[in-house]
Amino acid sequence: MSDDSVPLALPLPRLAADSAEVAALYRQLRKPLLRYLACLGLTSDEAQDVVQDTFLSLQRHLASGGDQENIRGWVFRVAHNLARNRQTSYQRRYGETLDGGKDFPAEVATPEQVVLEKEKLRRFAAALHLLAKSERECLLLRAAGLRYREIGEVLGIATSTVGDTVARAMKKLAEKCNVRCSRQTSRLA
Amino acid sequence: MCDVQGKLVAWLDRELTPEEASAVERHVEGCHECRRLVATYERVSQTLDAYCDGVMAAKAPRQTRWVPVLAGALMAATAVCVAFVRTRVVPPAVVEPSIPVASAPLPGPPVAEPVLHKPTIRRPHPAPHIRELARQEQPMDATIQIAIPAEAMFPPGAVPDGINFIVDLRIAPDGSVKQVSLRQ
Repeated sequence: MSDDSVPLALPLPRLAADSAEVAALYRQLRKPLLRYLACLGLTSDEAQDVVQDTFLSLQRHLASGGDQENIRGWVFRVAHNLARNRQTSYQRRYGETLDGGKDFPAEVATPEQVVLEKEKLRRFAAALHLLAKSERECLLLRAAGLRYREIGEVLGIATSTVGDTVARAMKKLAEKCNVRCSRQTSRLA
Repeated sequence: MCDVQGKLVAWLDRELTPEEASAVERHVEGCHECRRLVATYERVSQTLDAYCDGVMAAKAPRQTRWVPVLAGALMAATAVCVAFVRTRVVPPAVVEPSIPVASAPLPGPPVAEPVLHKPTIRRPHPAPHIRELARQEQPMDATIQIAIPAEAMFPPGAVPDGINFIVDLRIAPDGSVKQVSLRQ
């Protein structure tokens, strides 16, 4: 496993405060940030506030000549910390979203498939809850499109630790999914 | 268990060096168990994406649900407005005090005439006029006489039976009592 992650996009040019590049970065990262913050347990309004505060901090950071290496990781780290500060009881509120599986939209045709899809997501949410907090956060940041190096910067851990944590969390989820798949298959048989 | 299995997720995430990635790729091509694991990891990743999208969609503000609520409120408000417009408010009929006069002809049956528009009568404010009359202290033409039984005014036995007093009141135009005289 390498520390120099393969970049998904070209390296960002040197950013300036109030520049078009910052606006483009906002457009690029807004949705992944909102999705990540929603998965952390923030409401829609809270997530919107955190994203705005994050980019206000970015403006100040750029205006003061701050470091621009790994700017995506910097943005997610600020948003992550703001979300943590905003949540009064992190664990409890994290749990609230996972119980609302009935609201998950399912882009499938028949009502039976809708029910199955919702049930699958509800069970997946329960399995995700059983993971350790660091494992869960690593997976959510990975789902937001961050590289292992960026995840390490957000969470303040080494890149190799991120790799191990992601592999361990994926293995746990895969085992639970396999168990459920085999149970459903035997039930149908 | 293959040694490569611990690197499969990093390989899927393109986090390995090119040399490591090539080695894992060669192994996966020939290992049925690792191919099954790769498929499982991909399925888990897709489910995680769907879960994150679902959480975000579930928390998004749902403006469409306000449409029926607003439509219902609008319809209710419209119905209330229509009901108020169609309701005709009839002012209560003014009942004139009946003065029994023996020579007056009997009034005919009351004819109910719909009062659609109450005419607006502009009157001067009475207060200055009344104050002026009170200042002049004009005596009234009529005197009001009130008969009061003596038992109501004096203790029993203080006044012989059959004696009554008559009180004369002089009322000013503003309604106040100007003069009170007691006579037997």
